[in-house]
Amino acid sequence: MRYSRPVGVLSVFVAVLFLLAGCAAPLPSDPDQLQYPALEFQLPEVETLVLDNGIRLYLKEDRELPLVQITALIGAGGITTPKEKTGFADLFGSVWRTGGAGDRSPEELDEFLDHLAADLGAGMGPYTSQLDLSIRTQDLEQGVSVLADMLRRPKFASERLELARLQAQEQVRRQNDSPGAISRRLLMAALYPDSSLGYTPTHDTLASVSRQDMVDFQQRYFAPNELWMAVSGDFDRDTLMQLLQQKFGDWKQRQVPDQVMPTVARPKSGLIQVVTKDLPQTTVVIGDLGLTKDDPDQYAVRVFNYILGGGGFNSRMMREIRSNRGLAYSAYSYFQVGRRLPGPFVAGTETKNASVVPAVTLTREIMLELRDNPVDQDELQLAKESQINSFVFSFENTHSVVNQQMTLMFFGYPEDYLASYRDRIAAVTADDVQRVAKEYVDLSRQQIVLVGDPEEFRDELEQIGLPVTDVELDENPETAR
Amino acid sequence: MNRYITLIFSLLLVCFQGVALGSTVLEDKVFEHRFDNGLKLLVVERHDTPVVSAYITIGVGSVHETSETRGVAHLLEHMLFKGTKTLGTTDYSKEKPLLEEIERVGSQLDALRLQNGADPAELAALEKQLTDLQAEHKQYVVKDVFSNLYSENGGVGYNAFTSKDLTTYLISLPSNKLELWALIESDRMKNPVLREFYTERDVIREERRRSYDTNPARKHYESLVTNAFKVHPYRNPIIGWHSDIANLSPQKTRGFLEKYYAPVNTVIALVGDIRAADAVALVDRYFGDIAPGTPAPRVSAVEPVQKGEKRILEVFDAEPRLAIAWHKPTMPDKDDYAFDLIDQILGSGRTSRLYRSLVEEQKLATSVSVYGAPGSRYPNLFVIEGIPRHPHTVEELESAIYAELDKLKQELVEEEELTKVRNRLLTDQLRQLRSNSGLARLLTSYQSLAGDWRYVANYAVEIDKLSAEDLKQVANRYLTKSNRTVVVLQREDQTL
Repeated sequence: MRYSRPVGVLSVFVAVLFLLAGCAAPLPSDPDQLQYPALEFQLPEVETLVLDNGIRLYLKEDRELPLVQITALIGAGGITTPKEKTGFADLFGSVWRTGGAGDRSPEELDEFLDHLAADLGAGMGPYTSQLDLSIRTQDLEQGVSVLADMLRRPKFASERLELARLQAQEQVRRQNDSPGAISRRLLMAALYPDSSLGYTPTHDTLASVSRQDMVDFQQRYFAPNELWMAVSGDFDRDTLMQLLQQKFGDWKQRQVPDQVMPTVARPKSGLIQVVTKDLPQTTVVIGDLGLTKDDPDQYAVRVFNYILGGGGFNSRMMREIRSNRGLAYSAYSYFQVGRRLPGPFVAGTETKNASVVPAVTLTREIMLELRDNPVDQDELQLAKESQINSFVFSFENTHSVVNQQMTLMFFGYPEDYLASYRDRIAAVTADDVQRVAKEYVDLSRQQIVLVGDPEEFRDELEQIGLPVTDVELDENPETAR
Repeated sequence: MNRYITLIFSLLLVCFQGVALGSTVLEDKVFEHRFDNGLKLLVVERHDTPVVSAYITIGVGSVHETSETRGVAHLLEHMLFKGTKTLGTTDYSKEKPLLEEIERVGSQLDALRLQNGADPAELAALEKQLTDLQAEHKQYVVKDVFSNLYSENGGVGYNAFTSKDLTTYLISLPSNKLELWALIESDRMKNPVLREFYTERDVIREERRRSYDTNPARKHYESLVTNAFKVHPYRNPIIGWHSDIANLSPQKTRGFLEKYYAPVNTVIALVGDIRAADAVALVDRYFGDIAPGTPAPRVSAVEPVQKGEKRILEVFDAEPRLAIAWHKPTMPDKDDYAFDLIDQILGSGRTSRLYRSLVEEQKLATSVSVYGAPGSRYPNLFVIEGIPRHPHTVEELESAIYAELDKLKQELVEEEELTKVRNRLLTDQLRQLRSNSGLARLLTSYQSLAGDWRYVANYAVEIDKLSAEDLKQVANRYLTKSNRTVVVLQREDQTL
C-alpha cells in the first residue's frame, strides 16, 4: 500500500505566497458573483424505424466501450391479473428468464449467457413485459439470437416455475420482516382495493398460477407489431439490421387484443392502520391517489411535490421534520405518475415511536399550508430551476436516451414532450401549485399506515382525527383488506 | 448517507476488477495532477453530454476513530452539509457567540446526563436553555444552503458517504456550473461551521434506528462484522452505537475535522464535459491555497489470528438468516486476488456453485450471496450469506455451504470454469466505466486506497497468473472452522 507523498512545509509556504501574490482577481466567496457560460445542449437524436412486420426500433450508437445494450418491450403486462392468481406477473418474469428458450434448456441457456458474461433480465410490470440485455460487442449475434428465442420461443420449463413458486412462497413468509415492506403493502392495498395494483400474493394465489397461464399470455400478446426495441452502444448499424432481419424477419404480424384496464377511484374516507412490531422506530406512510401522464396538471404537481417532500433538503418536509426538529433521517413525498391508471401520491418518514403523532401532524400541516396559501416566489423559483436545470441529466446515459424515447412513444406521450418539458415547468405559477394542492390534499381521505410499537403513541392517535384500526399480521400473512 | 456503508466494499471489489480490464481504455483517458499542497486531481474528459460528475474523497473513515469518538467520521460528514462562515448564515459575526453558547450549554447537559442521580430539575432547566438558544439561533441560519445552491443550478445526486476507510462528497452538475462546485467545496474545506449540531445528532440516532435497528439484513451484517473482529477498528459500526452518538460533541467533531480533512489526504475526480487544463486551473484557483495538513496515519491495531470458531445468535423479529465470515488478507496480497475468483465461482450468477447447488438443486435457500467486507485498506473478511427456505433450517444451509467449500478444498477448479469467471470479471469491469459518476468513484477510491489509481492496471495479469492449484491452497488456508464467525439472526434461541 502506497501513500500520497507529503509535501514539504517550506515548499507549501512558497506556493501559498506565490499564489497570494500572483492572484490578481480575488476569489469569489458568494455564488451570486459567479457568472456561468450558457449551457450548449440539444436533445440527442435517436434513429427511429419500423420493420416490415411492425417491430419498432430506437437506435443510438456509442462507441466508447465494446458493449451493447438492448431493451425489448412487449405492450402487455400484469395489470389484468385476477386476484386469485396474484403473483403471476413476478412468476412470469422469473420463469421467462430462467425457463429456457429456443433449443436451449434452462441450464443450457444459463450456461450460455454466463460464458458470454452477458447480463439478461426479464420482468413484467403492470402495462408491459420487458427484457434487458447487456452484451459484449463481439457477442452481438448470440445476444440477438437469445432475445429472438426468448420472445418467440420461450419454454417456461415447469421445473423452473416450481422453483420460482417455492421462492415466491418463501417471500410471502418473509413479507413481515421489514417495516418498510409492510407499510408499502398495506398502503397499496388501501389505495387500490379492487385492482391488481393493490393485491398481494399469498401461498394459495401463487399455487394457482400454472405454466399454461404463461404460455397463454405469450401466445396472446407477443407479436412483432407489439414489440419495441431500444438498442445502444458499440454496434454497426448494418450488421444489426441484418441480424434483426435474420432473427425476426419471418415473425408474422397479427392482431393482438387490448388489455382492459380496471377502474380505480379515490378513497372515500380516511383510515389509520396500525401494525404492532417490536421496534424502536415507526415507519409512517400517508397515501392518496395521484394522477396519470395525461393529466395537464402534471407539471404543477412536480413543482408542488418538490416543495412538499420531493426536493430533498429543499423540501418543507425535510426542512421541518429532519433539519429543524431532528425527528427523522428521511422525510419524503412522491407522485408516481401513472402511465395508464393514476399512480399513488405518498408522503412518509420514519421516527422514534414517541414522535409518531407529531411527525404525522407536522406532515399534514405542511400539506394544508400548501393548500391554503400560495408558495413564495423564492421557493417556487428554486423548485422550477432545479427541474429545468437538471433536465440535461436525462440524457447522460446513451441507453437511457433510447429507452426513454421508446417508452415515451409506446405510452403515447405528446411528440414534443421532451422539447417542451422545460417551458412547461417554467410556466407553473404559485396559483397553479395551490390549485393542485387543493386537488390532492384532502386530509379526510388519506390512508395512513404506521408500523412500529404503538405503546408510546396510542393515546395521541385521536389527535390526527381519522378512524384507527389495528392490523394483525399472522404467521402466514394475507393482505389486510 | 448510510446505504453505502455496507455496499462500499462489494462496490470497491467490483471497481477493482473493473479497472483491470478497462486499463487500456483508461490509461489514455485519465489525466492526473498533484498540486503543491498534496491535493490529487484526476480528470476524464467525456464531451457527449454537457455534465460533470465531481467526487471528493478524503482518505479518512471510521477506522480513525477512538473509543471516545466512535461515529464521529459519519457525524462530521453530516455536519459538513451545514454551511460555512459565509454560506448558510445571515451574519456569522452575530451567530458565532450564540454557537459558542449553545456548545457550552449542550456540553454541560451531556455531562450532567452521564452523572448518576443527576437532578431532574437541573436537567430540565438546561434542556430548556438549550432549546431557547437553538430557537434564537434560527434567525441566523440559511437552511441547507449547499443543497439549495446545487439544486437550483441543476445539480443531481448531491450526497456523501462514510465508509470504514474513506469519506466521499459527490455531486453531478451541468458542466457550465462547475465553478459553483469549486466555490462550495473549497469553502467547505476551508471555513466549515458546525451549526445545528445537537439536532443533527438526533437525526443520526433516527438514521441508526432506520438503517440498523429496524432492518434485519443490516442488523445481521452489523453483528457479523462486530463479532468477527476483536481488536481492529473494522469492528466498530460506522454510524456508532446509540451511546456513542449521544455523547459526541462539537469539540470532538472539530478535532477530527482539523486533524484529517486536508489536501494531503484528499483526491478529487472530475469526469465529464470539462477540459483537463481548465480543471487544473479551476481547482488550483480554489483549493491551491489550502495548507497541506498531515497525512492520516495508518491504523496500528492488528487483528490477532482467530483461534476457534465464533457462533453468535442475533435475536430479531424476522425469519432466519445465516451469515458466515472468514478472515482474509486484503490487496495487494496475492491471496486477495484468489478470493476475487473464489467469490465469482461460488456466488456470482445463476451458474455459480452455491446458487446451482443450494437454490436450484437442493432448494434449501432462496438466495446466497458472497462478498468481501467491511473495508479494503486492512485485512478483511470473506462473507457468505444465505436465506434458508422453510422448512429447511439454517443448520441444513450451513452444512450444505461447507460441503461446497470442501469441494473447493479437495478438487481443482476446471479450466473452463476459471475462464468463465475471468470473463465475467473483465466484462463487469467495462460496465463499471459506463457512467461518469461510476468512473469518478472508482478513480477516487483506488487513488485513495492504493495510492495510485493505476495500481489496478495489472489486475487482469494477476488474475491470469492464478492457477486452480492456487485457489485450492487459498481455500484450505483460510476457509477453516477456527477462522470463521457464524451469525444466525432469528426470532428466538432455537438453533444454537
